[in-house]
Amino acid sequence: MKLGYPRALTYYDYYPFWAGFLRELDIELVSTPPTNREIMEIGLKKAPAETCLPIKILIGHLNVLSDVDAVFLPRLISMEENTYLCPKVLGIPESVMGTIPAGLEVVTMDINWRAGAHHVHKNLIQWGKCLGKSKHQVLQAFNEGQRWLQTYYEMRNKGWSFDESMESFENIAETGKFKDLGLIPRQSAGIELPQDVEDEHRPTIALLGHSYLTNESYANLNLISKLAEKANLRVVENVNHRATMEKQKRLKKDIFWSHARAIYGAGESYLDDPEVDGVIYLSCFGCGTDSLTNDLLARRAKVEQKPYLVITLDEHTGEAGLITRLEAFLDMLERRIRHESHLPAHGKCLDYHSSSI
Amino acid sequence: MKVTFPHMGNAWIIIQALFESLGVEFVVAPFNSKQSLNIGTKLAPESACLPLKLNLGNYVEAAKLGADTVAITAGTGPCRFGYYGESERLLLQDAGLNYEFILLEPPEGRLLGLAERIRYLAGRKNSWAKIVRAVQFAYRKSVVMDRIEILIHGFRPRAQNPHEADQLYEEAKRRLVLAMTDEGIQGVVRWLQARIQEKQAQHPEGLEIEPLNIAVIGEIYTLLEPFSCCEVEKELGNLGAMVDRSIYLSGWVGQHVFQGLAQGYRPLKPYYRLAKPYLNHFVGGHGIETIGSAVHFARQGYDGILQILPLGCMPEIVASSILPRIQEDYKIPIMTLTFDEHTGQAGIQTRLEAFVDLLERSRHREEANRGGLIHAHT
Repeated sequence: MKLGYPRALTYYDYYPFWAGFLRELDIELVSTPPTNREIMEIGLKKAPAETCLPIKILIGHLNVLSDVDAVFLPRLISMEENTYLCPKVLGIPESVMGTIPAGLEVVTMDINWRAGAHHVHKNLIQWGKCLGKSKHQVLQAFNEGQRWLQTYYEMRNKGWSFDESMESFENIAETGKFKDLGLIPRQSAGIELPQDVEDEHRPTIALLGHSYLTNESYANLNLISKLAEKANLRVVENVNHRATMEKQKRLKKDIFWSHARAIYGAGESYLDDPEVDGVIYLSCFGCGTDSLTNDLLARRAKVEQKPYLVITLDEHTGEAGLITRLEAFLDMLERRIRHESHLPAHGKCLDYHSSSI
Repeated sequence: MKVTFPHMGNAWIIIQALFESLGVEFVVAPFNSKQSLNIGTKLAPESACLPLKLNLGNYVEAAKLGADTVAITAGTGPCRFGYYGESERLLLQDAGLNYEFILLEPPEGRLLGLAERIRYLAGRKNSWAKIVRAVQFAYRKSVVMDRIEILIHGFRPRAQNPHEADQLYEEAKRRLVLAMTDEGIQGVVRWLQARIQEKQAQHPEGLEIEPLNIAVIGEIYTLLEPFSCCEVEKELGNLGAMVDRSIYLSGWVGQHVFQGLAQGYRPLKPYYRLAKPYLNHFVGGHGIETIGSAVHFARQGYDGILQILPLGCMPEIVASSILPRIQEDYKIPIMTLTFDEHTGQAGIQTRLEAFVDLLERSRHREEANRGGLIHAHT
């Protein structure tokens, strides 16, 4: 059996789990190619106008799947205790059913960590039963999947770029070279950190945002590499879970979306971190969770006097506009560094200060 | 402590009854208006949804009347509404208003925590038995409120002119606000029924009208708060359509406050079963109710369905991408209207008129089909 996985939305956080899980069950999992013009255009044409860019991209990917027995679209309700994913993710697969090419079968199941690990196991076992896999096999596969996912998180945490870390999982899934590539030996030898290229003279920027936007290099116009050229870059995935949870305590009520929680936690850590010169929040038009998280972080940035830029993506985002805004932001950071932060980070007193420079 | 609460249509009548019988000091914010929306839009993040903006407007206006505490329900998502309380508190703080927020939810799932909060809100002088009685009475009042709305929905397309219906509705609401006994609230319904019969006896030709049946479904705030949806129900009624709605206040209270123990005037329960073939899992907010109610109304033989939502509402966007399949399966026209702070009355009016025209024409065609008139030519 060969399943196809669209390289969009949940791919960016949970693909390694499915790759490990399905490989252990002898089911082949292939992902679609990275987003390109054609995929984007199909997505924009077929998706309802009101939904957000990541869902439109997902619909584009679903339409270029070929040579597979079925498309794999699990419904991820909750991937962490006491949290949910965004309602639009909960609505998958039904909400994209109408846009899938006729004849393409959909394989789905519910994953709900809110209801506890037992519930997740039960669902997976039941699903496995339909495919003739035993309980033991499924549980073993589950553990394998979890191990892959943890390794992936660890790689990201230690500063591996998204492409670098995902490449190893993609290759394993496709060629079955798991043993040769060997995650374990590499891990026990200590994951090789990418060479420390951080330059003290360059500003340090933290990029916040949903993983499916920050790593979606076609839609965000290569934002990460553009920034990496000019600055030392930190991302949400570099902040570990414990620090994220620690920062939640600043709110009277915990955020209940797992992604928003991670973004908020990372944002707070970077705003506290004196090494970080500026923060960029990458959002997309119509993102419901971002409208609240962004507001929480923008308020804190004001208090901390840290430059804070919000970039909102949609299908009409043009490269020239993006570059202009990034350049202006970087210029501001540079001037702030030169003037030892005597330059305000946001509007209000700008006139007063700039007249003295 | 002077408590206020955000507006949601006629919910204030019910909440007022509750606070009054408990002797809690409260302020009813001025009704939603262009001004409250402007205030809210200025304070809220641009991409926040319409209800949050209106809520903020309500709080600011209530503060001028002396309110210092907000009571609001919350939840654990995944709809944004669950986080409104904390978000609104911080936004108001920025605006220089130090409101205290009482979130009516079990904090971290502890029911005891919820009980403490209710205790705090109701004050020490009320016994639990009294609180329960007050809640029960408020609930019965909400059922009556819904009956009044439904009676008006039925009367509006048959009224001689729109003002007749408006007048009756306003008067009934005024009487309901004052009624604080079971006897009294039932009296309001009887009064309204008698008035409607009187009007219809004067103009019996109204009874011969066979109005179009249109169902309005969608997000609860836009459904219940006429200001936020440019009064679509009233407009449709004035265009000669009999309107029904997927969610009534008592149904929502029954499902969410009493956890399904009370059913309300229009229970939400059947929707979950009806939605199954199209949406197998809840998606937060009222996404699944929207799907279930669309199937419900389609099966009842309604002429058309109108889905309304605030711009960017996540659960309703999921629902609206599934609705085309119901439209296909049941051959029922479904239109979606989105509302935000820029929505203009005239634009909505035009679209409603076009929708009603379309339904009118398809009905005529069907009748003609049945009579064999069009068959002869095809």
